[in-house]
Amino acid sequence: MDTSNSQKAQLAALSAPSVIFTVVMIAFPFCYTIWISFQAVSATGMMRFDGVANYVRMVKDGQFWNGLWITIYLYVLSLTLQLVCGTALALLLFRARRLPGFIRSLFISPFMLPPVVAGMMWLIILDPSLGAANYILTSLGLPPSNWLASPALVVPTLALIDTWQWTPYVALIVLGGLQSLPPSVYEAAEIDGASRTKTLFRITLPLLLPTLVTAMVLRSVDLLRFFDLIYITTQGGPANASTTLNIYGFRMGFEFFQFGYAGALMITLSALVLGVVLALNRLRNAVAW
Amino acid sequence: MRSMLKPLPAFAAALLLSASWGAVAKAQDFDWRAHEGETITFLANNNPWATAVLKYQDEFEELTGITLRVDTYQEQQMRQRLLTVMNARSDEVDIFMTLPSREGMQFAAAGWYKDLLPYATENAAPDYDFEGFSPALVEAATFDGVLTGVPLNIEGPLLYYRTDVFEECGVNPPDNLSKISEVAAQIKECKPDMTAFASRGLVPALPYTFSNFLHNMGGSYMADGKSNLCSEEGKKAIELYASLLKDYGPPGVVNYSFYQLTSLYREGRSVMSFQSSNEFPAVMEGGARLEDTAIVPLPPGDGGSHPTTIGWALAISQFSANPDAAWYFVQWASSPEMQSKLALEGIAPPRNSVASNPDYQAWLAEQPVRQQWQKALEHLADEGTSEVGYPIIQNPESREYIGQAVNAVLLGTSTVEEACAAADEQLNALIARE
Repeated sequence: MDTSNSQKAQLAALSAPSVIFTVVMIAFPFCYTIWISFQAVSATGMMRFDGVANYVRMVKDGQFWNGLWITIYLYVLSLTLQLVCGTALALLLFRARRLPGFIRSLFISPFMLPPVVAGMMWLIILDPSLGAANYILTSLGLPPSNWLASPALVVPTLALIDTWQWTPYVALIVLGGLQSLPPSVYEAAEIDGASRTKTLFRITLPLLLPTLVTAMVLRSVDLLRFFDLIYITTQGGPANASTTLNIYGFRMGFEFFQFGYAGALMITLSALVLGVVLALNRLRNAVAW
Repeated sequence: MRSMLKPLPAFAAALLLSASWGAVAKAQDFDWRAHEGETITFLANNNPWATAVLKYQDEFEELTGITLRVDTYQEQQMRQRLLTVMNARSDEVDIFMTLPSREGMQFAAAGWYKDLLPYATENAAPDYDFEGFSPALVEAATFDGVLTGVPLNIEGPLLYYRTDVFEECGVNPPDNLSKISEVAAQIKECKPDMTAFASRGLVPALPYTFSNFLHNMGGSYMADGKSNLCSEEGKKAIELYASLLKDYGPPGVVNYSFYQLTSLYREGRSVMSFQSSNEFPAVMEGGARLEDTAIVPLPPGDGGSHPTTIGWALAISQFSANPDAAWYFVQWASSPEMQSKLALEGIAPPRNSVASNPDYQAWLAEQPVRQQWQKALEHLADEGTSEVGYPIIQNPESREYIGQAVNAVLLGTSTVEEACAAADEQLNALIARE
């Protein structure tokens, strides 16, 4: 065996564990889901090949389109709120450098909570009869709201809860971006007499674009797979008004035993996530400086 | 409709008879230490029964020398965990709690239950008294001759109401289903800051309470092999249930299950609450409602009184690696001795012998509301039906469509005609897939 072959063998041996891990933990479940999406699975667990029947059913299923719409609505609303609030919080933290450490920690603490805890907490606060939110509203002379129990309000309410929890995460990413901006650009702007607003919109935000797109990619993956908060608070209700594709697929599989159809839904959702991430990656390349 | 305690079915009698012969023959060989050193896993639903019985876990381990590992989840999560384990044919779970009226037919068809009849007849402790179980509950847990679980309790939805508020408002409690709206309206007028009527509104949870309305109205889920939700009785039941919650229910009732109902009633914020008999201990926790509450079954309607009556059961997995040791836990947890202890904590006993136990009778006698609760449970046992959702393998999915139909009317997104027609279409497709 020559040296080159020996090195190749050594490299193969060293990388084998990670390759095996990737195949077992990622490729196998994904391939299995693709395979099961072409099966008809009975309520008693029997399987038979069913071609593309699950995908045909999906296209004809009104609940699938409803789930797709809610997934996109929740995604766009949450992402917009989180980017705006996260950037604002980052600018605040960047300028208030002398802010005591514990206050800075307080600002970023929500995203350290497990989503299940956050969900339970908000479920109690937003309870229309016994919760603190309506108590505060009525104390101020405002009408109470049904929050998570209203088909019209449930998605905005979920988006607000998620924004409360994940804005600090976006803020930390943006703060990192702010700290890496070249000071020379600001010095030039100051010499030219640019106002603070102009500096923000003409210099800071354009320069932050690559960072913001990175934050968008990271949040997009989570938001399109939105699950835990909905599962804890509404389970997809009321009247399916918060049944995202992920919730719908989960219920089809784990509550109604329709694993074939659930597989088709999950593959479709994966394709959506992949598509959005690829599009955002192209955007990131376009705005890089 | 599947009656709970109609004349004893012949096969249930045969089961109990064979059990008693077997028990006599084998009782003398019984040894509680036969599986000492073994470990078993119990997948528990975090409900009042499991909470109460697991307080005695140490006693079981001392008695048998068996190590009991417990995985406790909320009901829905427990089922999801179970589904994963069973589909993988894994031996991770030896014993699990099951609701025969919901998943019994489905799990039995999938072959996930170990038949417990041979255990009950050939390997039970001398004082186990298998024939002491309510025959109707044993029947409800038996599918194609396979005893899928042993009964743990008897339960069903009951009407809890505030006697002080009724008295103050000069209103009599409803004695017929047709009067319940009128009574709720009077209460609402008298006490506008309180919820006049509350019941389950959450889609997967509401069939449990709605079924009682449907059956009392004279309706049924299926007729001639097809969905019957759009029958006149079905439509009346949907209309009544949805309008009660819409006009007199709490804000956000579409997300209500047992937890919210209990909190609302215990806090003194609702006047009539139609909810599970199982919640009795939780409702009475703190004692605030002990003196001002009465409990009755749902008033009869045009179809009479057919309360929803179900019970949890304890099952052994077909894939258990230690079924014999698992049976020891099952029989210990469902023994007359344990059920007598649990009865004193408000777990309605599935054995007549426990219900007539002097200690239990003394506990009931301490509070009139306890006696009313027990009397209502006896009515459930005598007249009840275990039909919650469609009597098909895919019963859990059928519940979803029932819940959606009621929810659509409650939220005002559909008329009763539209909602039940949409549900019937989905339900007939589901029935056709069987």
